[in-house]
Amino acid sequence: MSAVIETNNLSKVYEGAARGQDVHALKDLNLAVQEREIFGYLGPNGSGKTTTIKMLLSLIFPTSGSIRIMGSQDIDSPEIKRKIGYLPEGAYYPDFLKGEEILRFYGSLYGLSGKTLERRIDETLEIVGMTRARKRLLRGYSKGMRQRIGLAQALLSDPQLLILDEPTTGLDPVARKEMRDLLVKLRAQGKSLLISSHELLEVELISDRVGILYEGVVQTMGTINELLTDRDMSVDVTGITEQNVKSLGDRGISAEDIVDSRARLRVPPSMSLYDALEVLKAERVTVTSVAPRRETLEELFVRVVGAARAKKEGK
Amino acid sequence: MGSALGGVLSIAVYTWREGMRKKTLIGFLILSILVIFGSQFITAFLTTSSDAGSQSELDVKLIKDICVTTISIFGMLITIFVSASVVPTEVDNKVIYTVLSKPVRRFQYLLGKFLGVQFIIIINLVLMGGLFFFALYLKERVLPTLLLYSILLTYFQFLIVSAFTFAVSCTANSAVLPTIGGLFIYITGNLTEYLKDVYDRSGQTQQALDTWIGYAAYGLYNVLPNLQYFDLKDQILYLASNDAPRDTIFSQLIIYGLLYGLAGYLMSYWIFRRKEL
Repeated sequence: MSAVIETNNLSKVYEGAARGQDVHALKDLNLAVQEREIFGYLGPNGSGKTTTIKMLLSLIFPTSGSIRIMGSQDIDSPEIKRKIGYLPEGAYYPDFLKGEEILRFYGSLYGLSGKTLERRIDETLEIVGMTRARKRLLRGYSKGMRQRIGLAQALLSDPQLLILDEPTTGLDPVARKEMRDLLVKLRAQGKSLLISSHELLEVELISDRVGILYEGVVQTMGTINELLTDRDMSVDVTGITEQNVKSLGDRGISAEDIVDSRARLRVPPSMSLYDALEVLKAERVTVTSVAPRRETLEELFVRVVGAARAKKEGK
Repeated sequence: MGSALGGVLSIAVYTWREGMRKKTLIGFLILSILVIFGSQFITAFLTTSSDAGSQSELDVKLIKDICVTTISIFGMLITIFVSASVVPTEVDNKVIYTVLSKPVRRFQYLLGKFLGVQFIIIINLVLMGGLFFFALYLKERVLPTLLLYSILLTYFQFLIVSAFTFAVSCTANSAVLPTIGGLFIYITGNLTEYLKDVYDRSGQTQQALDTWIGYAAYGLYNVLPNLQYFDLKDQILYLASNDAPRDTIFSQLIIYGLLYGLAGYLMSYWIFRRKEL
């Protein structure tokens, strides 16, 4: 596999109004998004995600470092841009146009015309499930429908690389699932996707690799399996009392999701499953299931960002 | 080349379609049309003469005065408003991100926006001028060809103001600064003759400052566009409606307008080519 996006010590500094007030939005970013992969680009607000994306699209320019897209450093060239589809977060699409008219406009910017353009419009509307709404004015669209039209304009040129900023924003659970399936399908078709999102569950479900950014610095990067390690055991029990909860807590077993006399317990990695079962037996609670529990991306995110924040604050 | 031109035209048409829906612009246009239409009736209240022929002449002159002034003022307001807002609005609503992420160079994007603005200005001018033309024809029963020349020159005046307002808008994140810039260009463009006066009178006190002010005024006089060249109002008022314009070399004025328009566009590109969005 070769990298479709490659950055080398990419940095961006926004000059402040006075000396010493410069903002280092991105510091020495070394990023490689491979062919046929979904890369989850994560970070809290203001961490540098949008700055990175804008530099990839030549909307802003690096202070130092370099970018290669599909092997080319001329990332502003029409040849490279033709291979990129971009969905910005919260973009506006004019209300007075119909769904298909919007796509006709964006298609013409790709140099598409005539039957080729009409065929691509038909195909992309079908892909995003908007065929039936194609002749409706955008003012009648829901937020989710606008997001789908946004994705359709990004897909118009059948790009090799998709850069999606918050693609599931505003979508209901069913539409989110459909969007997830669609993104996975696009990867299967050979496309590479860079997804910036706050929807960590969505990213965890579909990403091959993720990178977490904080204050312009990549804190961690790797495959989902590398980063999300098996951390502890989850034990479901019945017949638990408040006294049991307190007693188990004293021995390091925490209870969560308590409903009546049922609960889900978390056994820390430091305690063996055998020891934990002995403790539960002594407490006279009934074990109904035992499962290894993997850290979620959300937990990893909070842990990594929390550690970076603490380091910055000198704790 | 073909696709590049197609992209420019698509942006221009999109700009025109969106621009023509702006409420402020529609408001200006409706007001101007009401004034032009209303001028037919205002004359009945404002002019009185015992002689019927002289009364009719006064009526026509008043109608011409009101309409030319209306077209000039509202046309200029529309020009400045549209030129000042098209780029900052697209930065604000992020449409520019989706457009520039496509195979569209920044000069193509700007050219498309600029052409779109020109479509809007021309259509508004044609609507206002067309109504005036029709009203004048009904009043005098002769084709007011002089008015057509005037409208043509008015467009080139608007082109100059539009180009420089557009350039200022490329530095700004809102339409406020470019609107002020556009008004400034319009006002100074109509006062450049005074700069020549300042130069002619300079040096009389033999003081260095006086001389330098004179040179500065002369420099500005030569650099700033002179919008007065495009003004045919006096001829419209005092000549017959179907007369040919006098003392006006159209080809030179058109080239003059186009060169300043090109300078404004190139300035906007120079500002915009490395603008961080």
